[in-house]
Amino acid sequence: MRDGVCVRVRSLVKVYAGTVRAVDGVSTEVLDGEIRAFLGPNGAGKTTLMRVLTTQLKPTAGDAWVMGYHVVLEAAKVRGVIGYVPQEFSVWNDLTGYENLLIYAKLYGVPSDERRRVIEEALEFMGLSEAANRLVRTYSGGMIRRLELAAALMVRPKVLFLDEPTIGLDPRARSLVWSRVLEYREEYGTTVVFNTHYMDEAERYAERVTVMNRGRVIAEGSPGELMKLVGEGVVLQIRVNGDAHAALNALSGLEGVVVVSSENPLKVKLADAQQGIARVLGALLARGVGVEEVVVRNPSLEDVFLKLTGMTIEEAEALGYREAAWVRRAIRRGG
Amino acid sequence: MAWARALTFVELELRRLRHDPTEVFMRAVQPILWIGVFGTVMSRVRAIPTGSVDYLTFITPGVLMQSTSFIAMAYGIMLVWERESGILKRVLTLPVSKFTITLGRSLAGAARALTQLFIILLIALPLGAKLDVSPPHLLLAVLVVFTGSMGLTALSILMAVFMKTRERFMGILQAITMPLFFASNAIYPIELMPAPLQAFSRVNPLTYIIQALRDALIYGDYADCLANLAVTAAFSFALAAAASAVLEKIIE
Repeated sequence: MRDGVCVRVRSLVKVYAGTVRAVDGVSTEVLDGEIRAFLGPNGAGKTTLMRVLTTQLKPTAGDAWVMGYHVVLEAAKVRGVIGYVPQEFSVWNDLTGYENLLIYAKLYGVPSDERRRVIEEALEFMGLSEAANRLVRTYSGGMIRRLELAAALMVRPKVLFLDEPTIGLDPRARSLVWSRVLEYREEYGTTVVFNTHYMDEAERYAERVTVMNRGRVIAEGSPGELMKLVGEGVVLQIRVNGDAHAALNALSGLEGVVVVSSENPLKVKLADAQQGIARVLGALLARGVGVEEVVVRNPSLEDVFLKLTGMTIEEAEALGYREAAWVRRAIRRGG
Repeated sequence: MAWARALTFVELELRRLRHDPTEVFMRAVQPILWIGVFGTVMSRVRAIPTGSVDYLTFITPGVLMQSTSFIAMAYGIMLVWERESGILKRVLTLPVSKFTITLGRSLAGAARALTQLFIILLIALPLGAKLDVSPPHLLLAVLVVFTGSMGLTALSILMAVFMKTRERFMGILQAITMPLFFASNAIYPIELMPAPLQAFSRVNPLTYIIQALRDALIYGDYADCLANLAVTAAFSFALAAAASAVLEKIIE
């Protein structure tokens, strides 16, 4: 029985080329109707996990089910209930938008007497009606994304898998894509699983977030729950003039102050905003440390990632870059 | 249902050709040289014994298949491109079987290749090739080109699965198409070849396709045409089955 579980992943492992453990023992459950983000740097294993769930890759070990169907043993049934938009372009740019949806509708087996209506509705919903008869190569990045979404949504999938749905889009195009996804989900109750390395997107749009790093799940919960991992209070970002060491010395031992990042700009976590800020600035000035800029903000998933891994998502990406490049080469070679 | 979905890939190909038909005409340049220059010159020299027909007539089906086989075998380059984009990943997550996808794309390659039949007939007939293009013969020729090109497209898909990059694919394409062409009955009767080459040409699918085409367009030998077409069909379906068995590996 599914018991309201839409996607179930159990101890999943995927090893590339015999050595690279892209997914290293992931277990999680996505409930029906949930919006779930898999958040992490490039190379964290999010895409590989999604490709296993969408029946493209067979796991090395472990199991996964989508809508109760096993992704390996019942792959054909899984394909019948999912919609999937990969990270890369997935429409033919030498056809028009309408023709792309027509081809996809025929491949999905949409009955001929419904095709026209289904396609026109999808184009309308995505705000592409006017561009429908233009070749896709004349589209903007945001329009292409919305066309790809239209192709996935027009058949009313039970689960929608989106791999980095807004990668490379400007903020306006990003929010337009999200408004369409959210409205669709509101109307049809579709479960939405998406990968992202944008912290703000996971925070804003997901109901639950699975934070991944190096093939493993390092935390999971609603954005609010995850934020609690860094504790109540605020984060203070301080750009100091000159040596960060002097500043660190000044701050060590201060009550209610935890240094989260020791590089300039320093990030410190304060249990109590009102007293904390005065105490921190007072200590810095007393030691003669020049302060150039102070930013006070609420904790974000960025701080959660920092706390859990000891590095920022950018640093994790830089570290993982060589490995990620190697994995990609291995995949390209077909290893 | 499966056939309807397979034919969708043919529709995809025809729609692309309609938006940009330049390829159809660019591909015609080489056959024009083969028939117009090589064919007419060799016809005059009479160096190659071609039985009861003149040389120009003899090589037209051969050149036709050279042109169509190249288009069919280059089809995989598109899959390599689709693999680098997200299209193949997406197509392979649709509720469509691997065999339907492979069959559909092989038929699509064949449809693309078939355009050359008409172009080459338009070139060869005015130059004096004595071909029978009455409806039953032409229909048979269409069937032969289509079936043969389907198999060669399936071979191309198979190559794309294992080559994965454009560079490697182009390399292997060059390495395969020219030998297939020269070690076939395309531009000379195989009886003229040394024994080992003859042996190879007898397992070369192009030989059977071209023979079936000559039977249809030149000799009017239905029985021999159908026999060669049967061999061609067996080859084509075997390759389509082989390609569909490994298709998934293309996105791994």
